[in-house]
Amino acid sequence: METENKQEVLLRVEHLSQHFGKVKAVDDVSFEIMKGEVFGLVGESGCGKTTTGRSIIKIYDITSGSIYFKGQRICAGTASYKEAIRQARQDTAAAIRQLKSQSAKKPEQKKENDARIAELKKDLQDTIAQNRRKIADAKYDHKYSDREYAKRLIQETHERYKPLLEAAKNSPAELGKLRKKYADDLRIAKNTKLITKIQMIFQDPIASLDPRMTIREIISEGLIVNGIKDRKYLDEKVYELLELVGLVREHAGRYPHEFSGGQRQRIGIARSVIMSPDLLIADEPISALDVSIQAQVINLLNELRSSLDLTILFIAHDLSVVKYFSDRIGVMYFGKMVELASSDELFAHPLHPYTRSLLSAIPLPDPHSEKKRTRITYNALAEHDYSVDKPTLREILPGHFVHCNNAEELRYKKELGL
Amino acid sequence: MDKILEVKDLKISFRTSGGTLKAVRDISFDLERGKTLAIVGESGSGKSVTSKAILGILAGNSIVEGGEIFYDGKDLLKIDEDEMYKLRGDKISMIFQDPLSSLNPIVKIGRQITEAMLLKNKAKRREARTEFNSLLETLRKNMAAAVGPASAAEVKRMTETFDKFCIEANRLENRYNLSGSKAEDLEDALQDFLFLAEKGQKTDVRGTLRDYLHRIQKINDPFYTARYEDRLSACAGNLQKALTAYQPVKDKKGKTAPLPQEITAALKDLETLLEEMKAQERPNFFRIGYYKMEHPNEDLRHRPIEELNAVALECLNENFMDNFLTVEEKGIRHSYETALEAKKKLLADLENARKFFGGTFDKASAGKLCKALSAKVEETIDRLEIVKDSTAYTFHSSLKSAIEKYFYYKAHNPREEARYARQTKKLEAMTARGKTVDWKVMPKRVYDLEDLQNDIIQIIQRLEDHYRSCIAAPETDFRQRSIAIVDHLKSKASDVVYRVTKSMAREKAIKLMEEVGISEPRMRYKQYPFEFSGGMRQRIVIAIALAADPEILICDEPTTALDVTIQAQILELINRLKEERNLSVIFITHDLGVVANMADDIAVMYAGKIVEYGSAEDIFYDPRHPYTWALLSSMPDLDTNEKLDAIPGTPPNMIYPPEGDAFAPRNKYALKIDFERQPPMFEVSPGHQAATWLLHPDAPKVEVPRIITKRIERMKAKLRESEQEGGGQSGN
Repeated sequence: METENKQEVLLRVEHLSQHFGKVKAVDDVSFEIMKGEVFGLVGESGCGKTTTGRSIIKIYDITSGSIYFKGQRICAGTASYKEAIRQARQDTAAAIRQLKSQSAKKPEQKKENDARIAELKKDLQDTIAQNRRKIADAKYDHKYSDREYAKRLIQETHERYKPLLEAAKNSPAELGKLRKKYADDLRIAKNTKLITKIQMIFQDPIASLDPRMTIREIISEGLIVNGIKDRKYLDEKVYELLELVGLVREHAGRYPHEFSGGQRQRIGIARSVIMSPDLLIADEPISALDVSIQAQVINLLNELRSSLDLTILFIAHDLSVVKYFSDRIGVMYFGKMVELASSDELFAHPLHPYTRSLLSAIPLPDPHSEKKRTRITYNALAEHDYSVDKPTLREILPGHFVHCNNAEELRYKKELGL
Repeated sequence: MDKILEVKDLKISFRTSGGTLKAVRDISFDLERGKTLAIVGESGSGKSVTSKAILGILAGNSIVEGGEIFYDGKDLLKIDEDEMYKLRGDKISMIFQDPLSSLNPIVKIGRQITEAMLLKNKAKRREARTEFNSLLETLRKNMAAAVGPASAAEVKRMTETFDKFCIEANRLENRYNLSGSKAEDLEDALQDFLFLAEKGQKTDVRGTLRDYLHRIQKINDPFYTARYEDRLSACAGNLQKALTAYQPVKDKKGKTAPLPQEITAALKDLETLLEEMKAQERPNFFRIGYYKMEHPNEDLRHRPIEELNAVALECLNENFMDNFLTVEEKGIRHSYETALEAKKKLLADLENARKFFGGTFDKASAGKLCKALSAKVEETIDRLEIVKDSTAYTFHSSLKSAIEKYFYYKAHNPREEARYARQTKKLEAMTARGKTVDWKVMPKRVYDLEDLQNDIIQIIQRLEDHYRSCIAAPETDFRQRSIAIVDHLKSKASDVVYRVTKSMAREKAIKLMEEVGISEPRMRYKQYPFEFSGGMRQRIVIAIALAADPEILICDEPTTALDVTIQAQILELINRLKEERNLSVIFITHDLGVVANMADDIAVMYAGKIVEYGSAEDIFYDPRHPYTWALLSSMPDLDTNEKLDAIPGTPPNMIYPPEGDAFAPRNKYALKIDFERQPPMFEVSPGHQAATWLLHPDAPKVEVPRIITKRIERMKAKLRESEQEGGGQSGN
C-alpha cells in the first residue's frame, strides 16, 4: 500500500469476521477505502458482500476485527482476543505439564524447571491481562465511538466560538445572537454521531420507504433525529435535495406509492445524502430497477460523487456496471476476499481462478462472441491444495492483492512475467 | 422450419379503476420449433402479459380484445379450460419471475418438484394412448380405402400387429433405459465420492457404500446386464467384503484417514465396469420387439447385439415393414389427394361466402352458412399430417367468434351511443347549473361494424389464400412422410409406456436440482421454501418448470434475481435442454446482454407494441429503432468509459395511450409526425422490421448514437480478429 498512502484513508477494515453461529459469513477480510474513490465489492449471492456492508454501518455486531472510519475505531470484535487467551492458557498448561514430568524423571533439574514454570505462569498472566485490556478497549470503542467523536466536535466548536465571542463582547445584541447560534451548534455537535457520516442506499426501493410517511418526512427524518428543529431550514434542505436528485419540489408532499421505481430509488438516495455523509454504502442500488432507469441512477450517483465529494462502497453483482463505476474492486468468495485490484488491472489480469470464472460469465451484448464464449468453472477443492501451506492475501503487484499460498504466489508472478 | 406457435394481432387490455389499460396492442410473432425468441422491454411493456395469454392465466380483469394464438391446430384464446389444462405445464411450461409467490410455502421442495411429474405422467400416458389409437385408426381407414375393400382385413391385421409390437418394443426399451440411467447416476456419484475422499473431505463411508450396493441391485435389465452379470456380482461381492472389513479410524484432530486400499480398488473396478456397460452397443428395440413377437420362445439375451440387430432387422423388413410402408404410403397419398380435391372444390364456396358476408346478412342465415362452411372445411383437412394446419383447424372457431362479435356490437353500439349521449347531456346540464361534478362520462366503447365485417371476410380470405398456396405447392415425398408417421407413432408409444414411479421422480428431481446448481440436493430435497435464499428459490422454480418436459418453455425474467455465475449456469442449462429436447423457448427479459447468447430472434417491445423485430445479429449489429438504441446505450459493457445515455422520463400511462409513437416523448430523435401518427412496420431487410418513421424514405438522416457505433465497431474488429486467427489455424 506504499504507493497509495499519499491518499487519505477514509475507511480501514482490519481482519473483519462476522460469524452467525457456525456460519462464517465474513472471514478475515481486510481492505481500505481511500477518500473520494468508488470501491466495488462483487461476488455471488451469499458470499458475504452485503454482510460486510452492513457490518460497517453497525447493523450487526462484528465477531472480530476492527473497522476504522476517519481514524476513529467504530466497530471492534472481541472473538480474536478471547481466542488468544484460550490459546495461551492451553500452550502454557502443556508446557508446564511437560516440565513437571521432566522433573519427575530427573530430580536434579527440578529447581531449574520450577523457576521456568513460574516464569511461564507470569508470562501467561501478562498475556491475559494484555488481551483483557484489548477486549475492554474494543468494547469501549464499539459502544462509545460516537461519544468520542461528539467530544471531538464539541471541542472544536468551543474553539471556533471562543475568538468570535471575544470579538463580539462589546455589542450585546450581536452577542445574544451569537450565543444562541453557539448553543445550537453545540447541541448539534453533541447529537452528531460519527456513524451518520456513513449512509446506506438499499436494494429494494419499495420496501425501504415507509408507505405512511410523505417524502418530506422521509428525507428530513435523519436531520430531525439529529436535533434540527428549524422547519424552514428543513424544508429548504429537502427541496434542495429533491432538485439535486432530479425530482421537483412538488414531490415533497406526496407518498412513496405515487412514484415509479426509479423515482423511489432517487428518494432513497436523497435520504442518504441529506446527512452529508462521507461514505455511501450502495447495496445493489440498481438491480431492482428497469434498464432505462438503471442508467439514470448510475449517472445520478456519478454526478453526486463529483459534486458532493462522496466516497462510495458499491456492492453489486453486475460486473459490467461495477467495472464502469468503480476505481478499485474487491472480489469475495465464501466470506473471503480473494482478489483486490484497481478495476482496469483486475479485468486485464485476473489472477485468482474464481475471479476468472466470474469474468468469464459476464454476458455481453454481442451474439458472435457470446456464442463462442466458454465459461470457466471454479471448484475450490480441485483448484487449490491448502492442506500444508495456508493461503493469505498477498500483494502480487503494487495494489493488486490475491488470496494465495507460496506456490501460487510464485505461479501468479510468473504469469505476469515478474 | 415449422412454426410451433403463432401469435397474430393480439390485443389485451385490463379493466382498472382508472379506466381501460391497454397492455398489449396488436402484436404478432412466430415461434419456430427448436428456436429461442426473446422478448425484450421494460416492465409494463406488455411482455409478461403476452406470455400469460399464451398460458391462459391472465388476471380476472383482463379483456382479450382480439387476435389469435395458434398452437397445434388450436387457438389458445378460444379453447376451454379443460383443454387448456392438458397443455399447461405439460406442453407449454413457464418459469415465473417472482420465486417468492410461485412456491407453496407449506409444502416441501421435493414434493413440489415431483408433483407435476407424477400428476401429469398418468394423464400424459392416457393422452398418448388415445392419440396413438386415433392416428393409427385414421391411417388404417386411409390405407383400406387406398388398397380397396378386398384387402381391408389384411390392413386391419397389419395395423394390429404394428400396435402390438410397437408398444412391446417400447416397454423393453424403457426398461433398458432405466437401468442405463441408474448405472450412469451411480457412476457420477462414485466419481464425486472418490474425488472428495482423495481430497481428504469428510465422507460417510459406510452409508455411501451401502447405498451403492443397493443401487447396483437396481441395475437389473436383462439386456443391459446380459454380458456383464458375473462381473457385476463380483464387484458387488468385493464391495460387500470391503465394507465388512472397514473400520473407521478416529483421529483426534477431526481429520479423516484416507480410504482403505480395498475400498478404493473395488470402487475403481466398479467404475470401469459401469463405463464399459455405458459404451456397449445398443440393441434396436423396435426391431427386436417384432422379432420377439415372431419367435416368442427364443432366448435373445445372450446373442451378440450386433448380430441380433441385423437378424431382427431382416426379419422385420421381410415379414412386415416393407409391406407395411408400401401400403402406408398409398394410404397417405390417398388421404392427401382426397384432401386436395376437397380443397379445390371448397375454393368456390369460400368465394361465395366472402360475397355473402360482404353484403347485408341476418343472424340466422350467417350462422347456418358458418356451420355448413366449417363442415366442408373439416373435410379438407389431411388428418395424417403431423404438423397440423392451424389456419384450417381453427377456421370454425375464428369464424364463429367473429360473427358473434359482429352481431353483439350491432345490437350493442346504439345502446352505447344512447348512454353516452344521455350522460354527456346530464353532465353538461349540471355544469351549466354551476355544480361541481365528481364523476366523468365513461368513454363510449363502440366498434366500427364495417371493421368487424372486414374481420369476417379476412378470416375467409386467409383460408382461401392458404389453400391456393397449398394447391400450388409441389407434391411431397410420400415415402418420407410415411417414415415420419411411423416415427411419430413410435414416440407416442414410448410416451404410453413411460411410467414414472415415486422413486424415479425423486431421482429425477434430485438430478434436476443438481443441474440447476443446488448443492447437497439430497438433503435440501426435504426442506421447505423458507429455508432457501432468493436465488435458490428461483432455481427450484426453474427445476419445476423443466420437470414436466414441456415442448415450449416460457421464461419470464428467470435470471434477473441471480448473480452472474449462476445466471450463466442457468442460461447454459436452458440452452442445453433446448438442444437435447428440441425445446422452443420464449425468453422474456430486460437485459439485452443475456439475450445475445440465447436468442435466435428478438422482439423489442415498448408500450404494448413490438417496435423492432429481427434476428439477434440484426438487433445487435444493425439496430434501427431509437428505443433499441436507447436500450443498448443505457447499459455499460466492459469497455464503456463515456457517460451513459440514460433514457429520460418514464414509460407512458397506458390508460391513455399516446396518439402517435408511444416512445416519442422520450425520444430525442422524434420527428413531428411521431407525435401525430403511429409508424407502421418498415422492413429493413428480410426478417428485420422496425416501427419508426426514421425509416421512411422522406425522413431526415439521423446518426446512430456514438456509444453504439463504437461498440459495434469494437465487436466487428473482435470478430475479424477471431476469424483471422481461425483462418490462420485452419491454413496451417
